[in-house]
Amino acid sequence: MPSLRPSPRWILLLITLVVLLYGVVYPNVDTIATSLHHDGHWSPANYLALLSQRLALEAVFTSIGVSVATVILCALVGIPLAFLFERYSFPGRNVFATLAALPLVLPPLVGTVAFIFLCGESGILARVVQRALHLQEPPWSLRGWGALLLFHTYTMYPFFYVLAGAGLRRIDAGLAEAGRSLGARPLRLLFKIVLPQLTPSLIAAGLLTFMTSMASFSAPLLFGGNVRVLTLEIFTARQRGDQPMALTETVILAAISLVALLLFQRYEGTRKFAAAAMKGAARRYRPLGTGSTRLLAFIVGVICSVGLALPVATLLLVSFARDGQWTTQTLPPAYTLANYSRILTQRSAGEVFLNSLSMSAIAALAALLWSFCVVTLSMTMKRRVSRRLLSLLVLVPWALPGTVVAVSIAEAYGEPSLLLGSFILVGTFWILPVIYFLRFMPLVVRALQASMEQIDPSLPEAAGSLGATWWQRFWRVTLPLAGPGAIAGTLLAFVIALGEYVASVLVFVPTNRPVSIAIASELRDFNLGSAAAYGVILMAMIALSMIVAARLERSASV
Amino acid sequence: MHLPRKERHAGDSRSQAGAGTLLLATLLITLLLVACSSGKQSATHHLLIYTPHGPDLLVHFVARYKAAHPETEVQVLDIGSRQILERIRAERNRPQGDLWWGAAHTTFQTAADDNLLATYRPTWADKVPASARDSQDRWYGTYETPEVIVYNSDGVTAAEAPRDWDDVLDPKWRDKILIRNPIPSDTMRVIFGAIIWRSIKDTGSPEKGYDWLRRLDTNVHEYTADGTFMMQKLARREGLISLWDMPDARLFKEQKGLPVAYNIPTSGTPVVTEGIAIVRGAPHEDEARRFYEFVTTTESLVQAAQKFYRMPVRTDIDRKQLPPWMNEPFTRLPLDWDVLRQQGDDWLRYWDTEIRGRGSRH
Repeated sequence: MPSLRPSPRWILLLITLVVLLYGVVYPNVDTIATSLHHDGHWSPANYLALLSQRLALEAVFTSIGVSVATVILCALVGIPLAFLFERYSFPGRNVFATLAALPLVLPPLVGTVAFIFLCGESGILARVVQRALHLQEPPWSLRGWGALLLFHTYTMYPFFYVLAGAGLRRIDAGLAEAGRSLGARPLRLLFKIVLPQLTPSLIAAGLLTFMTSMASFSAPLLFGGNVRVLTLEIFTARQRGDQPMALTETVILAAISLVALLLFQRYEGTRKFAAAAMKGAARRYRPLGTGSTRLLAFIVGVICSVGLALPVATLLLVSFARDGQWTTQTLPPAYTLANYSRILTQRSAGEVFLNSLSMSAIAALAALLWSFCVVTLSMTMKRRVSRRLLSLLVLVPWALPGTVVAVSIAEAYGEPSLLLGSFILVGTFWILPVIYFLRFMPLVVRALQASMEQIDPSLPEAAGSLGATWWQRFWRVTLPLAGPGAIAGTLLAFVIALGEYVASVLVFVPTNRPVSIAIASELRDFNLGSAAAYGVILMAMIALSMIVAARLERSASV
Repeated sequence: MHLPRKERHAGDSRSQAGAGTLLLATLLITLLLVACSSGKQSATHHLLIYTPHGPDLLVHFVARYKAAHPETEVQVLDIGSRQILERIRAERNRPQGDLWWGAAHTTFQTAADDNLLATYRPTWADKVPASARDSQDRWYGTYETPEVIVYNSDGVTAAEAPRDWDDVLDPKWRDKILIRNPIPSDTMRVIFGAIIWRSIKDTGSPEKGYDWLRRLDTNVHEYTADGTFMMQKLARREGLISLWDMPDARLFKEQKGLPVAYNIPTSGTPVVTEGIAIVRGAPHEDEARRFYEFVTTTESLVQAAQKFYRMPVRTDIDRKQLPPWMNEPFTRLPLDWDVLRQQGDDWLRYWDTEIRGRGSRH
């Protein structure tokens, strides 16, 4: 998009800068400054202290190792699934394609409960194996590296699946056709034509996965065993009341994620690829011809989908199980509707769902609008340095653990400030939508950016030469082409915000009490069934919004 | 080829516009709902309570309070007690909450030392022992929770269950013990603290206590992330023995129907006091005092005992009205709470870096 007239460009620049200043720069400067203070003056003492601690250093390397392994595993699961469901048509494809995104709808807190009931050492799977093989002891324990990576892969592969899927929908099938007609074999086509076109999507997915894994807290807490990662060290330091150390470890965590971002970008720069003018070829699903391949794809689809759906099914089961009755049996022995009637008769039940829905919708839509500003601006920037700085700043909130984002916003806007005057954000309804926006807008920006980079610049150019205004070009050319990516990213942000817990718990107020807090309360009282029932209703809402979004996406894709 | 494509494009822009309208409509409806929900402010009195108590107990007392004071809008923020401490600390320049109902007295004392609590002397101030209140009236005890040894009553008979702290170190419990991660848990901090303090008292150094924790570590099957998971794993026999508090163990056994039982350690057990306090600078301090008094009347305390397994601290309660198990005698382990509070973090840090998870490797 070369010729953006000055006036819209200045507006975009202004909006982008204001949001970054208020949401990212100002709140985080304080964090960095505190980490560089010791006994009241500037000093690197906190960093030196950290370097001298064996466990803290071990945690840094463990975190990196866990994250790299997570990215690799998620790519190995997510990309083949995306290919299977996006490229081939076989019986039940649509159902399986939707099921494959299921881990997205598994809300945190109850998601982990379901996972424990399913895969834990006293879970359904372990008991089935134990009974079948007549073992004395449980066949495995859900602790350590294996458990952690299993859970990470399960919850994070959707980044690859969703983004690679959206990428596949955008790529130019004409190129592959041309390649094929020139005699290229399928593997050569894959590596020379399809994957290069997918690179922006895969890099976006890899980066999001890496950062999510770095900032992951619940999984190592619950399944990590003796695997010590940086987020746990931060938590421990905070519980000790050692704020300077907690902040220093936070800065290091963020720095690692941002260095990863720079590395990824470097690679991205060398593999930039714009689809040619989308001539001729509307992408189509290749029906799998021969009976055996068709059957194979069907079976793979069934196995993957069942495997991925099991935790959700477990959650459903727990929500109907009578609390306290399920101890040594493989499946719950007694069922009841009491869990649902219990929460639905509470006056607050409706409110928490409404709160979560409205706050997530506000945050996701704001993120969508803002992403268009950022991405459009970024594409008109001529200097690479400023482009990189922009995407760096945008990704900072994603690189930080949720608690840190919440705390820094609460600290910055908890009293009258330079930037907001006498308005105090803390204690109002709006603090959570703002935090959700900040935490999850990087998802939307990355997804949209990946889409926009695949658009052939000659298309808007052609529209321009035909006399279309900037707005017309945007509305009629760019938006339809970037639509699938934008909707996928926005949906991802919306769904994740719906179940958000770690930041919410620090700053929510009674008027915006989200679902996750209600779930946590039930868990504290050991009402596992009621917690699961909340989770099931939340999941149903998420599933519904995904179906709506899939409709939108289908109608929006060219 | 040309015609269908044109049509498709026309369809695209229509559905595009449709999508846009839909998104906008959602946003507008949402904003409307938000405006409506924040608009209902009919009550004349307001009260915001921070509490870790679960929904069962809260719903009961808030409903009773509202019946007695219909003019008051009671709002509750239900989060863990250490999260409450962090929140009140963060809000110190502009307090939001009025009343803090529920946390171990060690947490309250930390908050009091940080100057986060207001002084208030309840009408029943002289009805609690000196150990269950702050000398400067910043917090008062409501319920007390002795710590106990919990076991799975299907997997372990009463005869073989450990009776005292040192019994859990027996090699026959190797890989059978579940311990809740002590770092974020007041209960576990107190139990570990009591072990270390015993060592300091007897030998002048924490070394013997660390040894005890090291031997415990060899028997530990898992350090669980929180109390709920710990109880669940105990009920499902991932382990057989745990250390936890008596009221919870009772509640899990009788109300939730889990196969658990407990022994009160014969050599004595530390007793944590659960407290209540008014936030310093509370926006609705009068209302907070009213609720404070309301949930600490002898009548309310008896209800909490009968329905929610809370052992009252007040000494002027007719003990016959309490469930019989609350009247069973047990030995209290005297503890220097100040030492525990000031050094507890260091002990835990040592445990975390040098002891945790190392026993099983040897």
